[in-house]
Amino acid sequence: MRFANLVLAQTGLLWKPIAMTTDSVSAGDDPHRLLADVRNLVGRVRRDQRLTWVALLTLAVVTVGAIPFDWLFMKVRCDGSGCMFARRGMLYYWPPALLIAYAVIAVSYVRAARARGLGARVLPYAITGAATAVVFTAAYTAAAAYFPSHPPFGGGPVPFWWIVLDRLIAPWGLIGLALLVLARLERNVALLLFTLAYLALVLVVLPTTDGMHLPEWGIPSFMSGTDIQPRLAMTPPQLIVGAVLLAGGIGFSKAHRKQQR
Amino acid sequence: MTTETDTPDPSGHPVTGLDEVVHQRVRLGILAIAHEARRVEFGYLRTHLDLTAGNLSKHLTVLETAGLIDIEKGYEGKRGRTWITLTPAGNTALAEEIGRLKVLIARVETTTEDQ
Repeated sequence: MRFANLVLAQTGLLWKPIAMTTDSVSAGDDPHRLLADVRNLVGRVRRDQRLTWVALLTLAVVTVGAIPFDWLFMKVRCDGSGCMFARRGMLYYWPPALLIAYAVIAVSYVRAARARGLGARVLPYAITGAATAVVFTAAYTAAAAYFPSHPPFGGGPVPFWWIVLDRLIAPWGLIGLALLVLARLERNVALLLFTLAYLALVLVVLPTTDGMHLPEWGIPSFMSGTDIQPRLAMTPPQLIVGAVLLAGGIGFSKAHRKQQR
Repeated sequence: MTTETDTPDPSGHPVTGLDEVVHQRVRLGILAIAHEARRVEFGYLRTHLDLTAGNLSKHLTVLETAGLIDIEKGYEGKRGRTWITLTPAGNTALAEEIGRLKVLIARVETTTEDQ
């Protein structure tokens, strides 16, 4: 009976090789089985290296944390024809916040992987994230310096691709771009699908850079001043982005715990 | 060193090009894990390959002697830890072994279809 088990136990990397020797197996060993075992082991390592939920929760916290900065440091100038606003808080908050967030994510990945006895593959993601902070700062500064005197498209209506580009180089779009890199590094199809849906939301659906105009009945009376309107309009898209990242983080956390059992 | 690391001769049978050091399921598993993880700790290998410490050590010695892995011993606090990393030769040997296995599978499937 035990000998029968021994024979069976010889054929899998994941099974205890009771009669293991350091000799190589015969060349006739099933290559299908060897390749399947390699794939299983590699898949296991990838799952053990993942800490997707930490990345998403960190980014959710950073996104929600931007709201008071945006509100407090927004410069609003209103006249009879409407309001002009400049989101100065974005420039004060996002570059350091993104750098800190990606540093936190990288350190968390490395520590968790090391605790499990593995190396981490997070460095390219952290570098991409840091690069997005630089891209955002450069783009925002250049736009703030150039566009007031040279309005795009002569101050007329802008095409949709311009709006998408504007949203892409905003922090919420850049977060999505960096998440694509993480999905590639982790070979994580679920994260790829989440990121594509997230990018569709922040680039096409949510007016992250223009603001979401709330109906009159939705605004409390003590917030009815004209300079409060633009501040209020910018808050819901950021709350929605934060909520989506939070929901993603919770979902990936639950899936991770399920896999670890 | 490995006995054979060249790409198998396409005119010959792929079995003739198999690397005796790498073509062993535990050692192939060690190389695959180390490649994917960049570096891997002894305990992780022992758990996931389900080996005894002595048995794993023997396989690691074979791979280290062949120049396919580097073994680094150190401490984290009071706990001793052994980390394994793949050498460039180990990366090449793994890629070639996977390639040979795929060739073998393709040959077997072609032969089966011909019959």
